[in-house]
Amino acid sequence: MMNDKTLEQTILFTQMVAHKQGWLLNPDKDFYDTLVEGLMQNYNRYGYFFCPCRDAEGRYELDKPAICPCIWSKPDIAEFGHCYCALYLSREFVAAGKTPRAIPDRRFEQA
Amino acid sequence: MNLQNLPVVTKQGTRNDYSIMVYALSTCGFCKRALAFLDANNFSYRYLYVDLIPVDVKNAIKQELKERFKENVAFPFAVIDDKKYLIGFIEADWRSTLQV
Repeated sequence: MMNDKTLEQTILFTQMVAHKQGWLLNPDKDFYDTLVEGLMQNYNRYGYFFCPCRDAEGRYELDKPAICPCIWSKPDIAEFGHCYCALYLSREFVAAGKTPRAIPDRRFEQA
Repeated sequence: MNLQNLPVVTKQGTRNDYSIMVYALSTCGFCKRALAFLDANNFSYRYLYVDLIPVDVKNAIKQELKERFKENVAFPFAVIDDKKYLIGFIEADWRSTLQV
């Protein structure tokens, strides 16, 4: 489709978000490639950059909180050193040489 | 769970100690890591990318998993021997549960 995002555009999007927030992109290239391709696929499926590690409803009003960067990325990066899908990492987390692991999904904390 | 007519992929490994069914997202890095972990440790398993099936079918699967295991459904969601489960990929947990 004419409005589809390319991989290059999606990479640029993630770079811009990371730069703006002072985060780093996942330095594990294979992991990063999976996520950025997933983000691109989600954009081209739903029309927005839905988090690649969460399940989408396919309806903007329901999916909005988990559109990248999701509303939980800041508290997750502050607490765990990386966001839920581990696309964005804190500088301290990377400097310490830590590896991201699955973290609780704050989406479920909302009763 | 009736998975007939769904694009469930069967991987054949040398370890058949468990019946492993993984519900995953095709877009997710941790899901990919989880499947790679099972491959690297030669497990036989099945997996289904739930983001590639009709939404109503996906929602029915999620509802069933939620009711059965009393857990919020996140991915990867692995069901082992129809009774144990693993949610998300934390390698140490998978190693422990699958006795690797």
